[in-house]
Amino acid sequence: MRKTLSFQPYFCPMDQIIALIKKDLLVDFRQKYVVAGIALYVFATIYIAYLAFNNVITPAIWNALFWLILLFSSITGLGKSFGQEAHRSHYYYYLAKPVHILTSKLIYYGFYEILLVVLLTGIFNLFLGFPVENPSLFLVNLLAGASGLSVCFTLIASIAAKSDNGSHLMPILAFPVIIPVLLLAVTNSRKIVFGASLADISGNLLVLVCFNVIIIALSFILFPYSWKN
Amino acid sequence: MKYLMKAYWWKLLTVILLIYTVIGGFLMPAPRLPILNETIRILHFHVPMWFGMIIMFLVSVFYAIKYLSTKNLMYDLYAEQLVNIGVMFGVLGIVSGMIWANFTWGESWSNDPKQNASAVALLIYFALIILRESLQDDHQKARLGAVYNIFAFAVLIPLLFVLPRMTDSLHPGNGGNPAFGQYDLDSDLRMVFYPAVLGWTFLGFWMATLKIRAARLQKHLDYE
Repeated sequence: MRKTLSFQPYFCPMDQIIALIKKDLLVDFRQKYVVAGIALYVFATIYIAYLAFNNVITPAIWNALFWLILLFSSITGLGKSFGQEAHRSHYYYYLAKPVHILTSKLIYYGFYEILLVVLLTGIFNLFLGFPVENPSLFLVNLLAGASGLSVCFTLIASIAAKSDNGSHLMPILAFPVIIPVLLLAVTNSRKIVFGASLADISGNLLVLVCFNVIIIALSFILFPYSWKN
Repeated sequence: MKYLMKAYWWKLLTVILLIYTVIGGFLMPAPRLPILNETIRILHFHVPMWFGMIIMFLVSVFYAIKYLSTKNLMYDLYAEQLVNIGVMFGVLGIVSGMIWANFTWGESWSNDPKQNASAVALLIYFALIILRESLQDDHQKARLGAVYNIFAFAVLIPLLFVLPRMTDSLHPGNGGNPAFGQYDLDSDLRMVFYPAVLGWTFLGFWMATLKIRAARLQKHLDYE
């Protein structure tokens, strides 16, 4: 464990990215309560939804609830991505290239988001059911939407972390920007819940994927500026 | 922007164009269309607000990029004030649209994709203003503001120009609703509409230059 912390100036980009991912993993491993807190947040939110919507839930409401809870738990989970170690950012600033830092964060928080989605779907299945007619397509659309959420929130978190009250700023900055992704994903998802096939949603899905690509490209262009102190 | 701040001719042009817009917009012949009737004249006041907003935001993004490449705070000042004026145009556009919709669609908010998109656009830029206010250091404010500004504009383009076109809108010209483009009578409207767009946009730049001057003076006073 000690060895991973003593940073050498890596020259191979892949080594540096892997080291940075390991570092993120280590930070989360040391502060297990943060991850446990997010899991508890997901569980508690779904349980409240279960109690509040008991017996009145229809597939359309189920779909809206699913995305809303995914939105709120992603922002809680990913909002911490840069704030967690803000006091050490000067140190990384001299050691690693911003592009490598962003790549490592995107990979790490991409996996983080996938775990979150798995957890969320599992608990949803348990309490509120899974009234989807086409589950595989639902998961494809979910993956496209969730990757958009994770990339967008990672970039916004890097901006919000620079402010004194970043945790307040995070939802204010992130919600309006994420609406296009959410709008496309929720519309697709509603159609899938009622049994749409790939041909029915391919147009929207393509726009969603294009949108994700634009966000990723913009993140790489803009991150060096927001990272610099 | 630098040129606009020095030159005078375009301010005279703005005054002439806007006087023409107001007189021509209300008094010149307009086509009689079902539902729309005389409310079609809002075309000269409501639609140019959106043109003005987009142009303000576009120029603001241009100066945000320029700030990031030169680190000159003057460009940041341009970007900030242009966003303020753009937001003002957006609010005027949304309010005038709601008043109009109250008469033609029966209610001021009817879940129309264009209405939703413009509301989201305003939310994004309000968030930008709050982000700027929450930061203390001038350079940090400028840098993060520029980053968010560019990101927001990139999100805004598909929001305003792609998504509303994928579904039917209640707006004239969409989904079989009557609009000025589909009729031969439209030349009367066009004669006022294009000068109106130009006039309102110039008015926005005029207001922005005044605000930039005021902010610059305020800075000088603060330092003394």
